[in-house]
Amino acid sequence: MTMISVTINNKVYGPLEVDPEVKMTDFLHEYVNLTGTKFGCGQGICQACTIIVDNEDGTSDTVRTCITNAMVFNGKKLRTIEGHAKTSKTGEIIALHPVQEAFVNNFSFQCGWCTSGFTNKTVALVEKLKRQPIAKDQVQKIIETELKDHVCRCTGYVKYYKAVKELILSTEGATV
Amino acid sequence: MSSQLNLSRRNFIKQCVIGGVTIYSAPMLFNSVQAEEKSNIEKFRSNWNKDKKPRFRFDAIEKVTGQKIYGRDYRAVDIPTWPNEQHYALMIRSSIANRVYLGFDISFLPAEIQPYKVITAEDLKNHKLTELIEDFGGNMLLEKGNTPDYLGHEIAVLLFDTFAAFNKAKGRIQFNSNVVQYGEETELVAKSKDPYASWRIVREEGQLGQNDRYSTLQDGLFFPNYVAHKPVWPSAENSIEDNGKRGMFYAEKLHSDVETRKDWFVLDRTYQTQSIEPMTFEAEAYNGWYDKATQSMHIVISSQAPQDFYYKAGKTIAKSPLASDIKNVIVHTPYIGGGFGAKDHTQFPYYGILASLFAKAPVYLANDRFEQFQSGLKRHPFVMANKLAFDKNTKKIAGLVSDMEVDGGGRINFSGSVTMVGASAIQGIYYIPRNDITAVCYPSQTPHAGSMRGYGTLQSMSAMEMMFNEAAAELDVDPIELRKINALKPGLKNTQGALPNGDMRYLEMLEMAAKHPKWVNRHSAKAEFEAKHPGKLYGVGFGMVSKDYGTGAAAPSSSVEITPEGKIIVKTCSVEMGTGIDTSQGSLVSQYLGSAADEIEMAVTEEFDAMELFATDNPYLISQERQDQMLKDPRWTPAVSMASAASMSSFYQTQTTENAARILLEKTLFPAAVEIWKNTYFNGQFATPDFNDVSKARWSNDGLTINGYPPISLELLAKKAHADGMITGVMTHAFNRWAWASAEFELEGEIKRYPLDAIAIKRGIGARNVKTNRFGYQVIERKSVDYPKTALNNAMVTYYAPCATLAEIAVEKASGKVEVLSTHTWLEPGKVLVKELVEGQIEGGLTMGVGHALYEYLPLDESGAGNGTWNLNRYQVPLANHNGVWNMNYTILPPLSESDPAKGIGEVVMIPIVPALVEAIYQATNTRFYHTPVTPKDIVEAI
Repeated sequence: MTMISVTINNKVYGPLEVDPEVKMTDFLHEYVNLTGTKFGCGQGICQACTIIVDNEDGTSDTVRTCITNAMVFNGKKLRTIEGHAKTSKTGEIIALHPVQEAFVNNFSFQCGWCTSGFTNKTVALVEKLKRQPIAKDQVQKIIETELKDHVCRCTGYVKYYKAVKELILSTEGATV
Repeated sequence: MSSQLNLSRRNFIKQCVIGGVTIYSAPMLFNSVQAEEKSNIEKFRSNWNKDKKPRFRFDAIEKVTGQKIYGRDYRAVDIPTWPNEQHYALMIRSSIANRVYLGFDISFLPAEIQPYKVITAEDLKNHKLTELIEDFGGNMLLEKGNTPDYLGHEIAVLLFDTFAAFNKAKGRIQFNSNVVQYGEETELVAKSKDPYASWRIVREEGQLGQNDRYSTLQDGLFFPNYVAHKPVWPSAENSIEDNGKRGMFYAEKLHSDVETRKDWFVLDRTYQTQSIEPMTFEAEAYNGWYDKATQSMHIVISSQAPQDFYYKAGKTIAKSPLASDIKNVIVHTPYIGGGFGAKDHTQFPYYGILASLFAKAPVYLANDRFEQFQSGLKRHPFVMANKLAFDKNTKKIAGLVSDMEVDGGGRINFSGSVTMVGASAIQGIYYIPRNDITAVCYPSQTPHAGSMRGYGTLQSMSAMEMMFNEAAAELDVDPIELRKINALKPGLKNTQGALPNGDMRYLEMLEMAAKHPKWVNRHSAKAEFEAKHPGKLYGVGFGMVSKDYGTGAAAPSSSVEITPEGKIIVKTCSVEMGTGIDTSQGSLVSQYLGSAADEIEMAVTEEFDAMELFATDNPYLISQERQDQMLKDPRWTPAVSMASAASMSSFYQTQTTENAARILLEKTLFPAAVEIWKNTYFNGQFATPDFNDVSKARWSNDGLTINGYPPISLELLAKKAHADGMITGVMTHAFNRWAWASAEFELEGEIKRYPLDAIAIKRGIGARNVKTNRFGYQVIERKSVDYPKTALNNAMVTYYAPCATLAEIAVEKASGKVEVLSTHTWLEPGKVLVKELVEGQIEGGLTMGVGHALYEYLPLDESGAGNGTWNLNRYQVPLANHNGVWNMNYTILPPLSESDPAKGIGEVVMIPIVPALVEAIYQATNTRFYHTPVTPKDIVEAI
């Protein structure tokens, strides 16, 4: 057994005793009851389990939790699907993250199993573009590159891609 | 904890009593933290219906904030009345099917991760549980000394008391080839079994205006005997007494003509489709607790057919020795993440029940992706030997002979009906004057095949479209022109001899497609593209199909209520699994109530008992005499409930939701408004309106209005309705056997015929002396009822939705890789309930069709999914760079009028892209393919 502490959506969990073989997806589900991150394939292929790891230098990485052991995240700061919306002091949602809003307004998802992975990847992408803007005519290309591995079985991806394109083009500082 | 369980509490509602076992359904409840989170989104979500059309999906906020709780997410701690302790179950399955099973050995596991209980076939025998899944073919766990029935045959269930132990043990067992021991090689068990089903659809048209000389609708179905596990059909004879012999007479007459007629052109081709994994993103899961103190089995299932589970689980337990131990079965039915038929009538939850029987605490059983590939339902592979004959002169179809062999997999499941539907669908959009369609489904060693999206029609209709494209080339006719010549026209019958319902609008769609620039310019575009891209080939292909929707025994239920505050509550029996049925059903009431629903509950079954309905017979097999006898009981119906499958929601569920809302308008809101208008304005400044005609009433932004009278808000009308004890809740049930049942009901003093077979009402809080049942409803006695004749079961299907797709592709010569450049789809969905939901079905369906045509494949031999090693690393589901994501276009045909029904389109949208792509590949490479998927390897070898 290993002791781990991890900050998820600005809340510290731990120290918790966790078997070293436990994957992060299972840690989120079985140990801290955060079920918004979904298990898809267990091989890191489908990207449904993607979360965001915030680095100390202000950059972020997206990580697939179904192939990464929980102990790897010890001491790290994470963001999951549960952490993006703005809430009031009483926990009531008062504003969705712009990525969430774009997906909701475009009817982007259907069953919703892939939504967590798409959302986290897109949040990280938009933040990156704010730091490193791209030309407007490169927006489609970067969406294809960044989201190409995400599997969705219901939607055909069209309304996801449309939402992300609209969002990037309307986000101040993301394009030049 | 268990002693606190009180089964009379309101949230456990009795579904039925079977052999002394009472089945309850229970709403899912979250733990306190989740309940709080849920309340935190309520206010935000309430904006969903603030416009005339939905701003977003009803459950979009939960999904996009990670607060949607799926069936797989529930743990014991989340469910009130359950102990907090959670145990875990692991299944051992056989990875082969051609050797004798000798046993398994997990002694190598360290003591601390050994299971506390191992459940084997011996336990089933010792506890007399061998019939636990008798409906699925029995043999639930493989006995030592026997050969597995199929790849993935279940061997044992292992129980662990901690997640860590389960997780570690699983890691050491799952891919360990030393765990299960096998002996000598044997023949496949499937080879010793008779076919699961055999169907034969024979028809020969009569002279113009006359009855058919023979058809299944008119003359009935006939079936073969089995000799050496092969069908032997009746001998051919033009016999009046024996419909089988007579059917064979017409079949053989057609065969003879196909072989000998010189004025016919016959295309003789064999097509083969593959085994497909539905890859529903939420793999199957179960949580269950057997509370011995109260003799109660608590179950959480992830199913798109919970009603089926209630009855089967009850029946299964009741007829086993368990009936003496289990008195109550309480089933929780949560939201599920995708269905596609993969969660319709599966054996999976019964293994969960088995685990619960032996577990010391609530036990969680969940497939990972490898396990779902190994044990989940698959799409049936078809091999179709087709002979399609055309009159050389008129270019009209002269006849079709089709001989289909279907691989039904290891357990029968829905193989019988999938085979039948596939056979009856091959006609596609065409009129076929003579047909002999034979379809036989055989058991095999592959995993079970079930009701995956398309239900057999994808396979047979794609083949027909591929034939049409090839026949057009052979006959030197434009492919769309050949379709126009042969498209089914109003008044013409299908291959079963039944008249399709409604105007099919095939010609209109074909003409639109024929004018599309990609089609018109396809030859010049090919030349230009290939000149510009020397390493690539270019092609455009087309396909058009018409997919039936429904099952022939649809039995939807809905209720629509208004609260004193004017909130609208809609409840339906359908399971929401991503298609958006909650959104569509919640929206459609706005036509009658002025606003979409504020609250929507799905998968409701418990409350619909308020209509006090019961069924007695299999609705497909019941005789006319029996139906005539039973319908005299006003509580009888051919079927009480239905699964959420087969494109059922738009058309079937809408029937009960819409009628419930309409009754509320006609019997409550409009009369309440009339009274207000009369009291306030009569003889005043407005002209006397025609208050008798509710059809002239309209909802404006401010409320209900008629003939210029000031709008009255729903809030005010609801307040009055409740105060006056008017009808404030309407519950409806309907039955459809390719036509709706109808019955007369007396409501508020008026007798009227409705396309329903049961109505119950709830009155407002001001009502006095109203006798209600325990659900608070008053059943309205039906005065008379007309059920569709039982002979319509022979029609097989009569409701169709058409869809056409044009695909533009490029093929890379070096790799054989197909790039979808663009697509255009034409869909005729009838009345559109929510445009974005229809678009989503087109986009998602087309993409799934791309997977079927080009990527998805599971071998049928021992290397297939049942061996437990398949996952997304080698099973390619289509990605965004496979489907022409930026260039996916469509035309949704407007309805002919606002009275058009909303058609079931969830399946048809995935089919025409398949033949369109195969034809486009031919146009690009000059090579025809007769199987799916067409892989880059196939293409490279061909060119």
